[in-house]
Amino acid sequence: MENSRRDFLRRTCALVAGVSVSPFAVNGTTDAETEQAIKYAIVHDETKCIGCNACVEACRETNHVPEGVTRLSIERKGSYGEYPNQYYHFTRHSCEHCEDAPCVNVCPTGAAYIDKKTGIVSVHADKCVGCQYCLLACPYEIRFINPVTKAADKCDFCKETNLKQGKQPACVEACPTNALVFGNLKDPDSLIVATLKANSTQRNKQDLGTRPKLFRITAKPGEITL
Amino acid sequence: MSAFHFDSLVWHWPIAIYLFLAGVSAGAMFFAVLLKHACLKDQAYRSGFVQAACIVAPIAVLAGLGILVLDLTKPFEFWKILVFYNPTSVMSLGVVVLMIYQVFMYAWIAITFRKPIEDWCRPRFAFITKLSEKLATYEASVTGLLIIFSVALGAYTGFLLSAQPRFPMLNNPVLPLLFLASGLSSGAASALLGGVLLKGNPTGKEVQFIHKVEIPLILGEIFLVFTFFAGLILSGGQSKMAAFTAIGEGFWGWVFWFGIMGLGLSAPLAMNLFMTATSKRKFSYVAGTACLSLLGVILLRNFILYTGQMTVS
Ligand code: SF4
Ligand code: SF4
Ligand code: SF4
Repeated sequence: MENSRRDFLRRTCALVAGVSVSPFAVNGTTDAETEQAIKYAIVHDETKCIGCNACVEACRETNHVPEGVTRLSIERKGSYGEYPNQYYHFTRHSCEHCEDAPCVNVCPTGAAYIDKKTGIVSVHADKCVGCQYCLLACPYEIRFINPVTKAADKCDFCKETNLKQGKQPACVEACPTNALVFGNLKDPDSLIVATLKANSTQRNKQDLGTRPKLFRITAKPGEITL
Repeated sequence: MSAFHFDSLVWHWPIAIYLFLAGVSAGAMFFAVLLKHACLKDQAYRSGFVQAACIVAPIAVLAGLGILVLDLTKPFEFWKILVFYNPTSVMSLGVVVLMIYQVFMYAWIAITFRKPIEDWCRPRFAFITKLSEKLATYEASVTGLLIIFSVALGAYTGFLLSAQPRFPMLNNPVLPLLFLASGLSSGAASALLGGVLLKGNPTGKEVQFIHKVEIPLILGEIFLVFTFFAGLILSGGQSKMAAFTAIGEGFWGWVFWFGIMGLGLSAPLAMNLFMTATSKRKFSYVAGTACLSLLGVILLRNFILYTGQMTVS
């Protein structure tokens, strides 16, 4: 993981420039990319997260995720520091909605796909045969086989539930500290774009070329790992 | 970390068996074609070794596909893999290769066994002899395409594992070559084993020919194994870690050094050199050597599959 602030700024600038001049400009991006009006992403602010797991429970309820599997988990590391100033480090594990998604590239039937309109990586449960190639390929290890549908399953930004009803994703709504920000990267006035501009963020395993869309505002790590 | 159960493990041994069987099939056809064209010509159908290869290849590929289907979480929906395609998916491309390979495999077998088939059919179903006559005119193209598709199938068994970014040991450009080479030698071994069981002559020219090809093939495999791990170690980081986890101490380290390098590669190499040098070829030597080769390849597939999934990048 490397600090991606500069990278992010460059991207945002390019994004803003791209959006503002796109009606006139012939720039490097493809038609589909310039036309796409929505590109959803999520930010997890680890400095605000208290590890209450409200997001996990809300996701389970809203998306009818069976017991024993989950689309989302909060990993707790620690505790660090001396009493009474002890603290933990929390990391969100959920689909990172990769721009270049290994799960989509390997799926033999096209069941794993990227929704063209929103950039959401999702699964057609009917098309999935359960070969588990996507579970093998996902570098973030967040896919699972749904024991009810027997299909591969994962976070879809509540595409079939809350988003359809015009609401924010369940985990975002449930968070008591507003540690989660969800929104459209292509909308320069959105809260997520403002949040990403105002903070330095990291994305996991960027060296694999997956270009994930789960951004993390990192908290102090508590330990030194080499 | 336990050898067979760990968090990052997704694909279990059935996939290793599938990869093994696909390799055996590809290798058996490859050597059947070589035997026919390099030493037996029109008499190929009389050879126990060619017969064995032509029995093993279809059974292995069908059994492999069967295992693959049973390993799906929705085995009854396997037909969706045949209906929906994804050009970026190695598995999808592999299914295409498998299907086309089988067409040429059956066609080649029919051409090679044309005489016995025609003798049997002539009094009964005369039209089949017409068909086989027609088919035989395409022998050269069928043979060429069969060779291409058997090599593609052998390499596919490696590409299936290497086409993902998560596991640095599997995401390795040498893997398809290594699996191709070991698949071919497992095909040769199964032809030899089946051949002597079908009363093929263990001192026959087929055996001499296969041994001549197998010696450089095994040397090549050893070189590829070396390149595979040297490449990982020199890449540093998680790749290096993956290599040391795999071939270092522990259950899989034993499997690698004793099972694969010892029993699977060095022992057959020594036996082949011995048999070639002394021309002493007995049923037990040929069969024993072939069994060791096959064991080595099964172990290699499992070793790579399991240890490959132990270290994530
Ligand atoms: S995080 Fe995994 S499941 Fe999500 S898009 Fe990336 S590869 Fe696919
Ligand atoms: S498990 Fe389903 S979604 Fe995943 S690669 Fe296989 S068919 Fe595609
Ligand atoms: S966005 Fe929806 S599906 Fe994804 S983790 Fe949050 S609640 Fe679950």
